[in-house]
Amino acid sequence: MADLSVNLFHNMLKNPVMNASGTLGYGVEIEPLWKVETMGAYVTKGLSLMPHQGNPTPRVWEVRWGMINSIGLQNIGVEAFFRDYMPFFEQKNMPVIVNFFGFTEDEYIQCAKNIVPHRLIIGLEMNLSCPNIKAGGISFGKEPEAVRRLIDRVKSSTNIPVIAKLTPEVDNIADIAQAAYEGGADGLTLINTLPGACIDTHERAFKIRGGMSGPSLKPVAIKAIYECRKRVPIPIIGAGGIMDYEDCLSFFMAGATAIQVGTATFVDPFAIPKIIQDLGDFLDKNGWDSVIDLIGAACT
Amino acid sequence: MDDIEAKIITNRNIVKDYFLLRLRLARPLGTVVPGQFVMLKIPGNTVFLRRPFSIYDYKRDVMSIMYKVKGSGTLALSNAVKGDSTMVLGPLGRGFNIYNKPNHIVVAGGIGIAGVHLLIKKIKANAHVFYGCTDEKELLLLNDLKMQDKYISTIDGSYGYKGNVIDLFRTRLKDYNARDTQVYACGPEGMLKGLKHALESHRAPCQVLVEERMACGLGLCFGCVKKTLDEKEPYKRVCKEGPVFNLWQICL
Repeated sequence: MADLSVNLFHNMLKNPVMNASGTLGYGVEIEPLWKVETMGAYVTKGLSLMPHQGNPTPRVWEVRWGMINSIGLQNIGVEAFFRDYMPFFEQKNMPVIVNFFGFTEDEYIQCAKNIVPHRLIIGLEMNLSCPNIKAGGISFGKEPEAVRRLIDRVKSSTNIPVIAKLTPEVDNIADIAQAAYEGGADGLTLINTLPGACIDTHERAFKIRGGMSGPSLKPVAIKAIYECRKRVPIPIIGAGGIMDYEDCLSFFMAGATAIQVGTATFVDPFAIPKIIQDLGDFLDKNGWDSVIDLIGAACT
Repeated sequence: MDDIEAKIITNRNIVKDYFLLRLRLARPLGTVVPGQFVMLKIPGNTVFLRRPFSIYDYKRDVMSIMYKVKGSGTLALSNAVKGDSTMVLGPLGRGFNIYNKPNHIVVAGGIGIAGVHLLIKKIKANAHVFYGCTDEKELLLLNDLKMQDKYISTIDGSYGYKGNVIDLFRTRLKDYNARDTQVYACGPEGMLKGLKHALESHRAPCQVLVEERMACGLGLCFGCVKKTLDEKEPYKRVCKEGPVFNLWQICL
C-alpha cells in the first residue's frame, strides 16, 4: 500500500485530501453518508468574530460546467463553532483547519485571537477575498502591501500556523504569494473562487454575482500553484475544480502538498472518499511509494 | 439516507409541461416522511448539479416524482427515456409532522401538488384538499388521489371555483375550528403569502413546504435558505431545517 500521508506544519495527515471551506457545512452534516475522519483534515466553514447572516436568495446558480455562489459567508461565529462543533472533532481526534475572515483588519486580528490554540487545530486559513469596508470594499487579497501587513498583524496575534487563501482575481498571484510569505504566512491555499456573474436576458437583470467554482476553474488553479511554488518556499494547498483523483495528480505535480475538494461534493456526495480511494489505487498500480513523490513532479 | 443507482421505468407527459417520472431503485430508500425530497442526477451530461424533487410516491424499490419543465434541468430531464440511468440521493430534509387532529386541510397550487401527494395518500380519509390550477386540463395532476373532500379552483373557471385557491379556501375557512385543524400547504410563494393572510385571524397551525434553488441538498453549502423570524440566525437551510416550515415562523 502506497503511503498517502503528508506532513503539514509538523502534523502528519493520514492523507492529503480535505474539503474546501464552506462545502462541507460544519462537518457533521455529511456523517450519514461517510465519516469526516476519512479526510486528512477538515476545513471549517468561514468563521467570523460575530455571527453573520449571509445573503438573500438566490445564493447558487448553475453555469456551464460549474456554479456561482453568493452565500455571503453565513456562519454562527467563531465562539459558537468551538462550543457547538469542536467536541465532535475532539471525539474523532480529527485535525481541523479553521477558515476565518473579517471585514476590517481589526476583525481578522480579533477573530484570530479568539481561536485558542488546540492540539487538533493545525492551521488558520485566512480568506483574503473579503471586501475591506474601510478601503472602499476592495478585497484584502488584491494588493501585495495590504496582504503583507494584514498577515503580519495576524501572525503577531496567534501561535497557530497561518495559511493565506488567495483570490485568483489579481494581476500577478505570485506577487501576492510573495507578500503573504513576507508577512509570515506558513502556507498558501490556491485558489479561492473566481468572481463571476450571470444575467437573465429575459428579465434584463443579474441572476447572481458571486464566486465561480467547478471544473472550469482547474487550469486557473494549476497555473497559480505552479507560479507561486517557484516564488515562495512554503507549502501550498491546492483547490479549484477538482472532480476526481486524476485532477488531484495535476495539482500535486504542479506543486501542491495537499488538496481541497469543494463543488465536486455537490455533484457526487461521495466524491471525497472516492478520490482518496482512487489516489491510493493509482499510486499502487503505478509503483509510487508515496504521494510525496508526486509533489512538484512536473516542475523541473 | 443513501445515494442509490436508479433506472427510469417511465417518464410520462401528463399534461402541458407536467411530467411523472418513475424510477426503479437498486436498493430501497430508508423510511420516507411525506414532504421529504431527493437530489436527482439528471441523465445525460448537459446538467452539472443535481436537482431537488419532492418524493411524489414511493413503494419498495419504485419511486416517482412529478415535475414541471421550468428551466434547463427539468427540460433535460423531460428528454430522458426508459432505461436511462441516474442517481437518487435521499430521502432528504424534514417532512410534514402529521398530528392527530380531526381536520387535515391540504392547500396546493399547480406543481405544488407534487409536494403533498404522499401526504394526502397517508391521511386520505381525513384530507380536505383545496387545489388550484390554471384550467380543467390540469386536474389530471390529481390523478388517482383519494380524499374526503375536494375543492377545486381554476383561474379560467373551466372547472370548480373561478379564481385562485386561496379565495376558494377563504369561503370555507369558517367551517373549521382552529383548534381541531392542521393546515398543510405547497405552492408558489404568492399562494403561501395569500394563505398566511387568510389565516391571520383564524390562526390554525400551518406547515408549508417551500422551494429553493439547491446545490448539495445535504446542508453543506447553505445555498438554499428561507428567511425566518429567528433573530439569531434568520436564514434556515431549506434542505436541512426544511423543506417544511411553520408558516408562522417564515418571512413571506
